[in-house]
Amino acid sequence: MSLDISFIGILIGSIMASSVPLILAASGELITERSGVLNLGVEGMMIIGAISGFALMVITDNLFIAIIGSMLSGVIISLIFGFLTQSLLTNHVATGLALTIFGIGLSAMLGKDFVGIPGKDFPILFSSLRESIPFFGPILFGHSIILYFAFVLPFLTNYFLKKTKLGLVVRAVGDSPISASNQGINVILVRYCCILYGGGMCGLAGAYLSLIYTPQWIENMTAGRGWIALALVVFATWSPIKVLIGAIIFGGISILQLHMQAVGFRIPVQFLIALPYLMTIIVLVVISRDSRKIKLNTPTSLGRIFYKEK
Amino acid sequence: MATDLRISNISKIYPGCIANDNVSLQFKSGKIYALLGENGAGKSTLVKILSGVISPDNGEVFLNEKNLKLSSPLDAKKNKIGMVFQHFNLFETLSVFENLSIDATEDNKSLRVRINEILKKYNFNIDLDVPVLNLSAGQKQKVEIIRCLLRSPKVLIMDEPTSVLTEQETEELFISLKKFCDEGILIIYITHKLKEVLSLCDEVAVMRKGKVVSVSQTQNEKVETLANKMVGQKLAKIKKKINISKNKDEIFKVKHLNFYSDDPFETNLVNLNFSVKKGECLGIAGISGNGQNELFQILSGEIITPNTSIIFRNKEIAKLNPKQRREYLMAFSPEDRISQAAVPELKIYENVALNNFKSSNFFEKGLVNEGKIKEHSKKILSDFSVNTDNVELKSQFLSGGNLQKLILGRELITAPELLICYNPTWGLDVGAINYIHETLIKINDQEKSTILISTDTEELLKLSDRIAVIYKGKLSKIMPSDEVTPEKLGILMGGGSID
Repeated sequence: MSLDISFIGILIGSIMASSVPLILAASGELITERSGVLNLGVEGMMIIGAISGFALMVITDNLFIAIIGSMLSGVIISLIFGFLTQSLLTNHVATGLALTIFGIGLSAMLGKDFVGIPGKDFPILFSSLRESIPFFGPILFGHSIILYFAFVLPFLTNYFLKKTKLGLVVRAVGDSPISASNQGINVILVRYCCILYGGGMCGLAGAYLSLIYTPQWIENMTAGRGWIALALVVFATWSPIKVLIGAIIFGGISILQLHMQAVGFRIPVQFLIALPYLMTIIVLVVISRDSRKIKLNTPTSLGRIFYKEK
Repeated sequence: MATDLRISNISKIYPGCIANDNVSLQFKSGKIYALLGENGAGKSTLVKILSGVISPDNGEVFLNEKNLKLSSPLDAKKNKIGMVFQHFNLFETLSVFENLSIDATEDNKSLRVRINEILKKYNFNIDLDVPVLNLSAGQKQKVEIIRCLLRSPKVLIMDEPTSVLTEQETEELFISLKKFCDEGILIIYITHKLKEVLSLCDEVAVMRKGKVVSVSQTQNEKVETLANKMVGQKLAKIKKKINISKNKDEIFKVKHLNFYSDDPFETNLVNLNFSVKKGECLGIAGISGNGQNELFQILSGEIITPNTSIIFRNKEIAKLNPKQRREYLMAFSPEDRISQAAVPELKIYENVALNNFKSSNFFEKGLVNEGKIKEHSKKILSDFSVNTDNVELKSQFLSGGNLQKLILGRELITAPELLICYNPTWGLDVGAINYIHETLIKINDQEKSTILISTDTEELLKLSDRIAVIYKGKLSKIMPSDEVTPEKLGILMGGGSID
C-alpha cells in the first residue's frame, strides 16, 4: 500500500513539473493581455527561449547564464513585436502569428548544431527531504528553483494586478487606453513593458523545457505549448489563479493519459490525446461562468491598436 | 485667489478643415462661461487644446499671466485645469475608487477620506467600490467631477455635459456647478443647447466654423439671438401651411395593427387604424417607450404581424419585407442613425449603396459598380448640403446632423411616395434641425406623404397636418393639427383624455 501512495506522490510531482512551462508562459501573456495587447507569438518566444537557453548552457557551461540569457532572448524577440505593434501600429494578430512562425524557423536554424548534445543536470532543491518523507516528499521537494517560482508566480501576478499601483495602471491601460492617455499615463510605455515582461516569461518557459524538463534540444520541442498557454489565459478569463488551475489540469491529464495508454485502457488513443484539451476547456468554462466577473476581468481594449491624437 | 485664463490666437488646422482659426478669449473666476457652437464649430478642439490632449499649431494659453505649455494632459493637470469630457474618460471595469486613485499621489487611506469629504460636501451619492460600468451616466459624470475636484482645480471645463443626462441629473449638475463657481472655480461650459446657456451661464462666447463670432453677457441674449449667431444667418421661422383636404386619395392605410410580445422591454400595440393622404404629414406623438419603436418596425417591415392589413398605393404590403417595401417606393429613416440607419464603419458611398438594390444600377452581375455609386453619392452630398464632398470618408466621422442629412438624402433620392421617420432631429443642433424640417416640408409640397413619429411636440406641431398620440401601445383619435395645442398633446401623452 505504501508503494501505491509513494507512486501517487511521484505522479503528482511529475504533473507539477509538466505544468510549469504553461504557468510561466500563460502568466507572462496574461500581463501582456491585461494591458490590451494580444501577442499570439507565445509559441515563437518560447521556442527561442528554449534554444538560446540550451545553446548558452552548452557554450558557457553555466546554467545561471543560460536561464538569464533565455529570458533576455524572449525579451528581445518580444521587442520586435512591441516595436511593430506599438510604434508602427501593425495589427496584433498578424504580427503575433508572424512572430511564432519566425521563432520556430529561427530556432530550427540556430539549433542545427545542438541536436543530439546531452543536457546538464539542473540542480534540485531539498533532494534529501524528497526521499525521506513518503508521499509529500516527491510532491513538495526535489524540484528545480524554476518550478517553485512558477507556482508562486500566479499569486504574485494576482497581487500585482489587484493590490499595486502599477497593476492598476496596467489594468487601466487595458480597459481604455484613450482614457489612460488622457489621464497622463504613457500608454505606449506601459504596453512595451508588459510585452517585454511577457516575452521574458515565455523565454523562461522555453528554457525550462530545454534545460530541465527534457534537457536537450529537439527541433520544435515546445510542441504547441505556447498555444495552450494562450488558450489558458482566455479560458481562465484573465485570472492568474485560474490560469494556475488550468495549467495543472492540463498537465495532469496529459500525464495521466500517458499512464492510461501504458496500462492499456480500452479507449481510443486519439481520444486520450485529446482529453487534456477537452477537460481543461470544460473545467475552465465551468469555473469561469460568472459573466459579470468575466466582464470585469476582460481587458476591453484587447488587440486594438492605440495611437495618440496629435 | 482670482483666476484669469486667457487664450490668445489659437489655431489648429486639420487636413481639409480649420478647426480653430485665431481664437482669442478671456475668462475670469467667479463666473460661468458658455462656449456655444454647432457640432463641428471647433469647441471640442479648443477644449482638447486647453486640456493638453492635442497641441495647437499656433497660439498661447495664459493662466494668471503665466504662459502655459500644454503638451500633455499631465501639464493641464499640473496647472490645475480640470476637464470633464463628453465621452467619459473612465475605466469601466475598474471600481470607482480605483478610477480615482490611479493618478493620485497620496496613499489610499487619506485619498478615501478626501473623496468622502467631497461626496458629503456636494451631496453626491456614489458607492466607491462598485465597478464604474454599474453606474448611471449621471453618476459617471460625478466620478469625473470628483476626479477634477481632488486636484483642487482653478479651472473646470465641462464638454457637453448634459448630452447623456436625464432632466433630474441635469438640474443636480447645475446646482453643483453653481456651487463650484461660488467657491472661486472658473467654469467653462461647452454646449450647443441654447436654453442651458441662458439658465446657467453668465457670459457666452459663440463659435462658428472655428472662429469666435461673438462674446456677450447672457442676460442680453435670447434663444433666438443666440441661435442666429450660432448658425450665422437668420433662421427662418418654419411653420407649415396646414393642408387638410378631404378629397385627396388615401395613399397608405393601416387596419387592425396588433402586436404582442413576450419581451418585457417591448410594448404591445393594440388595434391601430390610421391612414395617410397624398401630400400629407401624419404626426405621431408620445413619450418614448409607448410603442413607437414597435410601430416603426412594423411599418418598415422589420416585424411582420399577422392579420394586419397595410394598403399602400392600392396594394397589400403587410407581408413584405423592408427591401420589397422600398421597391414600392416607401422610405424609412429610423431613430438610431448609427446602428439602424447607417453602418458607421463603412464609407459614405458604401452606405449609400446599402439600400438601393434594385431600382439603381449599382450592382451589375453581382459586382459593385463603384463609379456609379460614388457619382450618385456626390449628388446626395451636394443636394442635401452635407459638409463634405469626400465620398470615401467613413460615415462614423460625420457629425449627427450631417449623417442624418446623408440618410435622408439616400432615402429621398429614390423619390419615394411615403417617408416614415422616427425622431429625425434627435440630438442635432439648431441649424441641422432647421434643414431637416425644411426638407420634410418640401416633401409634402411635392405631393409626397410622410409619417413623422416623434417625441418632440414642438417639431410635430410645426410639421404635421394631422396628429395622433400613442400611449401604452394605443393610438388616440387623429386630430387636425390646427386644433391641437401643446397642452392637449401633453395631456394625451400622459395618458389623460381631452373633451
